[in-house]
Amino acid sequence: MRLRESLRLSWRSIRGHKLRSTLTTLGVVIGIAAVITFVTLGVSLEAGILGDVDTGQTNRIYVWGSPAGEGGGPGEDAELIFTQRDVTELRNQSDVAAAYPWTPLPSESLTHGNDTVPIREGVIATGTEYVEADRVADGRRFEEGEREAVINPAAANRFEENVSVGDTVAVAVPGAGEVNATVVGVLETSEGQGPFEGFGEDPRIYLPADPYYLDLASEATDDPRYLSVVVEADDPRDVDAARDSARAYLESDASDAGDYLGGDLELTIQTGGELLEQIQDILDQVTAFVTGIAVISLVVGAIGIANIMLVSVTERTREIGVMKAVGAQNRDVLTLFLTEAVILGVIGAVGGVALGAVGGWAAAEYADLPLTYPLEWFAIAVGVGILVGVVSGLYPAWRAARTDPIDALRYE
Amino acid sequence: MADDPAVSLTGVRKTYRVGEPVHALDGVDLSLVDGSYTAVMGPSGSGKSTLMNLVGCLDAPTEGTVTVDGTDVTALSDRERTALRGDEIGFVFQTFNLMPRLTARENVALPLIFQGVDAAERGERADAMLGRMGIGDRGDHRPNELSGGQRQRVAIARALVTDPTLVLADEPTGNLDTETGARILDVFDEAHAAGNTILVVTHERHVAERADRIVHLLDGRIERIERVGRPGSAGAGGPADDEVTG
Repeated sequence: MRLRESLRLSWRSIRGHKLRSTLTTLGVVIGIAAVITFVTLGVSLEAGILGDVDTGQTNRIYVWGSPAGEGGGPGEDAELIFTQRDVTELRNQSDVAAAYPWTPLPSESLTHGNDTVPIREGVIATGTEYVEADRVADGRRFEEGEREAVINPAAANRFEENVSVGDTVAVAVPGAGEVNATVVGVLETSEGQGPFEGFGEDPRIYLPADPYYLDLASEATDDPRYLSVVVEADDPRDVDAARDSARAYLESDASDAGDYLGGDLELTIQTGGELLEQIQDILDQVTAFVTGIAVISLVVGAIGIANIMLVSVTERTREIGVMKAVGAQNRDVLTLFLTEAVILGVIGAVGGVALGAVGGWAAAEYADLPLTYPLEWFAIAVGVGILVGVVSGLYPAWRAARTDPIDALRYE
Repeated sequence: MADDPAVSLTGVRKTYRVGEPVHALDGVDLSLVDGSYTAVMGPSGSGKSTLMNLVGCLDAPTEGTVTVDGTDVTALSDRERTALRGDEIGFVFQTFNLMPRLTARENVALPLIFQGVDAAERGERADAMLGRMGIGDRGDHRPNELSGGQRQRVAIARALVTDPTLVLADEPTGNLDTETGARILDVFDEAHAAGNTILVVTHERHVAERADRIVHLLDGRIERIERVGRPGSAGAGGPADDEVTG
């Protein structure tokens, strides 16, 4: 008997019991839908977070000092320990291509023309390289030593009249009055540019640390220090070497930061790749957990299919007898029932994928993440559906195949 | 269709072991000539069913040989026996035994699926056979949309569609009223006239009298063979049925 025939006959039996077939596949639908929903959410989350930390940033190394043994996220509880001299010295270390400070500027509000909006976080003093050139949609990056700024769309669009290249904005700094900057670039998106600022779409404005931060800090102290430093390697392959040389310098007596380290403060140096791995690890754990639950659901689903197939074999004993009487081989009967179970499994899988895709979309929408579908998981799900069908159908189909036609024809 | 037997049984014994050994058939010799029409009668427990299972290649004898179209069934594997059954035997059952979810046409075509006949040819042959049974317009109906007589015609069409060596009918009128039953027996007469070899198992005398001869079974042995109606000439199909109105 050809595969097409068994598909047709099996499909006929399934359609003959619509409600029963639907209920039978529910276990598989729920299991697969759960996995697809969570994997979609995971992948979307990954895309939302890691999409920003793309390959261009895996050559970055993030450096900060925080109280020993607390091990928080990037920049958490960081202290002001790096001097401008440290940053300059870091640039001269081997395998280091660039080094620049990253430190938020205390701020109250942002003014454009007659329009003032509050901004407490999001004014960032850093180096030119921190803003990647290809992320500037309009204009260019600021230059160090100049009174220039790069603004992101979320900040630019908060004003009644959007800020564009060439405009002047004023940042109100507590205790220091207003500082002016000429906007020279508008970014393409409003996502954070690195892990220190988080990856949400918040209003941000980027200024050169020299002069803005240095001038302001100098008014308060003789020894201005940065919160953190970003070091770049030439090539992602040199990142480990650059990290080692940065650590060697900062922990030596030659560095200013070294004065504070030892004792209570601990230097943390993380590469972009390491940050990626951390996030990935958490996502993998969540996915593994959900997959575990889904496996239970799939086992229950498989038992459901096996159960209904056994009922079906018993119900159709006479039909099996007739088929065998008119020349169906054991193999034909086995194929028929196995096909039926596999169809049920695949329907469950496809239904689960559809439901899971909707669930994933809803979850991504709710969490405000860019929806990304894990297409390979869709294929895996259908594969699992086939597997569930085969596993659950094997015994019932074998029972059907070895039915004695004489008994079967006499069966009431 | 001279006298080479379509089916022959030689010294056939069938023993079931349910505690005490039971001889369902106890040394039966019988041959069904090509084109002949034979009825088997006997009280329950006489071995009718066992005989039918053996002739229908559903079972193998404990002793003796069963030959269908020149092939010794006894020596065959289960698989070969199934293939032989599909090719050479057409079954007609008391309860019709149609597949409930398939249309009349698909039911008739079912045996051809297992012979690997392609879909187009299956449809043609099934339609031709339904036409021959006088229900050519019922091809798209499911069994539950057909009357008892129509169902049995579908079943006969299914039995004949493979052009079998032997049509084996087990109480073919048992579930039908007298009138409809008589019509179905006419269909068998027509098949006989067309050259099919037929074996009917029944306990009703008027059904058996349609055949050329009646084999009476008792306690697993052939008690006697009675010649009825038509004189020996197979396929002649003379109207010798005065008891039955059709």
